[in-house]
Amino acid sequence: MAPVLEVSGLVKHFPVEGSHAVVQAVNGVSFTIAAGETVALVGESGSGKTTIGRCVLGLVPPTAGSIRFRGRDMGRRWNVRSPALRGKMQLVFQEPGESLDPRMPIGRSIAEPLRLGSLDRAARERRVQEVVQRVNLPLDILDQYPTELSAGQQQRVAIARAIVTDPELLVLDEPTSALDPTARAEIIELLMRIQRELGTAYLFISHDLSTVHQVSHRIIVLYLGRVLEEGASRAVFRTPRHPYSVGLLSAVLLPSPGLRRETTFVLEGEIPSPINMPPGCPLATRCPFRIDRCSTAFPDAERIGPQHVVHCFRHEEVAAREHATDTFEEFQRIAQRILAARGDRPESELAGIPALPPHRQADRVEDDTER
Amino acid sequence: MTEAMRGEAQSLVTRANIRQGNPASAGRASAASEGPAVIDVRDLEVAYYVYGAEPTRALRNVSVRLRPGEILGLVGESGAGKTTLARAIMRVVPRPGRIERGEIFFMGTDLGAMSEAELSKLRGRDLAMIVANPRGELNPLLRIGPQIATIAEVHLGVSRKRGLEMALDMLRAVAIPDPERRLRAYPHELSGGMAQRIVIAMALICGPRFVISDDATSGLDVTVQAQVLDLLRKLVREQNTSMLYITRDIGVAANFCDRVDIIYKGEIVEDAPTEAFFSGPAHPYSNFLFAAFSHNAELRRRWMGSAPSPESDAAEALCLYADRCVKRQVRCLAEHPALRELAAGRLARCHFPVER
Amino acid sequence: MAVVRYIAGRLAFLVPQIIGIVLVSFLLIKAVPGDPATLMLGPMATPQTIAELRAQLGLDKPLPVQFLIYVDKLAHGNLGTSWQTTKPVLDDLRVRFPATLELVTYGMLLALAIGIPLGVASALGKRGPLAKLGGFYGLVAGALPDFWLALILIYIFYSLLGWVASPIGRIDVTVTTPHMITGFYTIDSLLTGNWAAFRSSVHHLILPVLTLGLVNAGPILKMTQATMERTLEADFSLYGRLCGLPEKLVIRRAFRNALPSVITIVSVLYGFLIGGAVLIEIVFSWGGAGQYAVQGVLNSDFNPVLGFVIFSALFSLVVYLIVDLIYLAIDPRIRR
Repeated sequence: MAPVLEVSGLVKHFPVEGSHAVVQAVNGVSFTIAAGETVALVGESGSGKTTIGRCVLGLVPPTAGSIRFRGRDMGRRWNVRSPALRGKMQLVFQEPGESLDPRMPIGRSIAEPLRLGSLDRAARERRVQEVVQRVNLPLDILDQYPTELSAGQQQRVAIARAIVTDPELLVLDEPTSALDPTARAEIIELLMRIQRELGTAYLFISHDLSTVHQVSHRIIVLYLGRVLEEGASRAVFRTPRHPYSVGLLSAVLLPSPGLRRETTFVLEGEIPSPINMPPGCPLATRCPFRIDRCSTAFPDAERIGPQHVVHCFRHEEVAAREHATDTFEEFQRIAQRILAARGDRPESELAGIPALPPHRQADRVEDDTER
Repeated sequence: MTEAMRGEAQSLVTRANIRQGNPASAGRASAASEGPAVIDVRDLEVAYYVYGAEPTRALRNVSVRLRPGEILGLVGESGAGKTTLARAIMRVVPRPGRIERGEIFFMGTDLGAMSEAELSKLRGRDLAMIVANPRGELNPLLRIGPQIATIAEVHLGVSRKRGLEMALDMLRAVAIPDPERRLRAYPHELSGGMAQRIVIAMALICGPRFVISDDATSGLDVTVQAQVLDLLRKLVREQNTSMLYITRDIGVAANFCDRVDIIYKGEIVEDAPTEAFFSGPAHPYSNFLFAAFSHNAELRRRWMGSAPSPESDAAEALCLYADRCVKRQVRCLAEHPALRELAAGRLARCHFPVER
Repeated sequence: MAVVRYIAGRLAFLVPQIIGIVLVSFLLIKAVPGDPATLMLGPMATPQTIAELRAQLGLDKPLPVQFLIYVDKLAHGNLGTSWQTTKPVLDDLRVRFPATLELVTYGMLLALAIGIPLGVASALGKRGPLAKLGGFYGLVAGALPDFWLALILIYIFYSLLGWVASPIGRIDVTVTTPHMITGFYTIDSLLTGNWAAFRSSVHHLILPVLTLGLVNAGPILKMTQATMERTLEADFSLYGRLCGLPEKLVIRRAFRNALPSVITIVSVLYGFLIGGAVLIEIVFSWGGAGQYAVQGVLNSDFNPVLGFVIFSALFSLVVYLIVDLIYLAIDPRIRR
């Protein structure tokens, strides 16, 4: 089956105003997303992940390369709002409050993408109610305004609006970064359930590796607009082969004291400016494995597993030095051990648990995983 | 930062209190924090007065103590009162907030009894703050060097020349590459990580005894965050500074802090040494929060009650977490729980804490 | 070096801007009904004499030709003559433009002197009496018609109290006007040591300057207050306080950050007042450029109008250039 999305040789350069310099945001990125699959673009600010998302959405025209969606070349004339796409590609951004019109009631916001379609008014309303229930929001929210909702609820609305046209691909740009931890967990579970139920493919753009670990099937590690490593999520998290992936994973602080990916080296310094970059590997300035070749040529892709590809001249040495370990999984085991016990008292003593007074009963947000 | 500078930095107030010890709070020292407190917040209440509405209680009965050199992590979600507490300790509660009750002692001195002039002598010298959005904290029209130097000039009475020398030392201490050139840079020429280091340099230039970091590293990329945290810990340990580290990320708390306080709806609901907390939180809310990081839907569901009620909580008798709590009992609706000691150094505000 | 290149670029752009402005004004003026030949010759003129005069004035030619002729003359520094004053427009404006400029400049200075301190003060004491005064002042200054305020001031200070000179002209008729150097009577009289002229011109300036100052302080006050409130609440001001910087320093830094907005409103007002002060000029029989242009419009005397437009456009463009240079000096973010 043809992939839902096929990005090949994507390049995006932005001119710097008032000079001949260019920001080399994306420098030749190729990847595909299959139906129902989640592919995560990970990397730090300046890695080009957001620009790639915008190119895929057609919001900025690529400098070179092609983007094929459902087998058709997007060309330069289409974007995510084009009627020709019939809403088969949708997006969710980081700040739910900013992507919703504050003067538009929620119901109308959600129905907006349907205006392109052929549904009549009644069918549209039915469809809106359907997706609102799917994202576990109460129906009376339709008449409310964005400011009356919490950030988590706003993001649910944004997701409802995105899935209202029954898309095949959702581009999710840092969809949980602005949320509190508990709201973030809810949204992630919601997104995973929607994918299970509807088979939507996700392009998941995030710098939060814990979240990526949970949601993605495959991950692509980006640095200064280049793919350094990509592969099945499990493989990359367990056996990262690029020095940058190792550095990134070992910098993550998990909620268990001292639980950190052990590594034999650290990445010094910060991501350099993407303006007028020299040739070669973009990590060369920070990499402890740097050799002369690194500053003259960017390493070709080397296949090191069924789906695992790395761009590094010295990946075998990295492999020899690093243990295969997935600290995220390790943390999940620890969390499981800790949280499994709730220390509840025997059933007989719980008989008298009272209901809350009616005024304190909140609109219950149902659990997403149960539906 | 040299010893000599530390000496210059220490205020008279501070020195006097070190000599005398800290009699005012000696009797109240809980098991969680033996020894003289650098910061001792007692029963602090802050409310926000919005015209035409009931005042919102942002902080309820908050007591926090920090020993010298201790890093305390204050963890909670937005709206829990974290920033309000930080501002209250600095005595700059944002309008329309008001400190209703409670005291804040710094090295045994009641900050509430000090005049604004005395307070601004303490701020930036003995009490420092590092804030998020580092680029916004820097004045966009001024060069980095003078911005850092001014703080030393104002508090330590040094000359501009000496101030710039100290600023240069600080830039080296926070590992900024090419520090001489950065002194002449403007804020917009810096990356986020760089700007955050500048703000750290500003906070630490006078060698403060107490530093608050309000969500200061959350906007940074992970590899940069790791570097900045390592640096912060090194500087804080070298100077034996105490630090209140405010964050939403319990991952950072687990790896950076000595002790963890969980705040919920303006109340400290749990206070525990880091190791103890992360081997099993006691308060049901702490467990729920912890479960949100587990990335395990089933575990999260185990700890999830119903959603929080949107209205403010007038009913004093209730436990504030009762409406969301999976362990709710009759008593939780009848009696507001006190923060009580479960084991040495471990406190929780719960009638039925989780025992493991 | 970059600054010099920047200025050169801006100045080079000035010429096409001026031509564009002239073209638009030219077309607008021609669209206004009214025939100068008829007006010049009076009601008794025969159609034939009118036609002759029209031909003489070039009014019978097609519009594009008329425009090209005008531009050609303009390129040689000839702005045409006014049939009302029968003098070359350039000579008229050489006297009248400085008259307006002197009035407006002092008016703006007074407005700044009132608006900025009041604006800062009301931003500082957000709820205090000064803020209330500032708010009230902004409202009143915005609602007061300037010519009405001028008449009130004349009534009080000239008619009742007799403290100032009669509201006619720039200087007493009995005093010899100072030799023209800058065209500002106050400055020229000082430069030539003509004390009587200095005293008299200051006396004549008091009321119109007071009017302009009082009225235009309103927007300056508002802008200063709004921007200062924002910069005082900005993160860097809060952080300055958290670092224990003295409040005075925090305020000074906040003001510096507020300055660009204030300068913008000042430049806009300044450019606007060149023509916008015309009612004041009329009330005080100032004989300024605005009055000259309005007379021209009313009597289909086109050359003074176009001359005025060119003068004030040039003036505004120069003011904007200066403002941009000030921004450049204040704000490092726009330097590159």
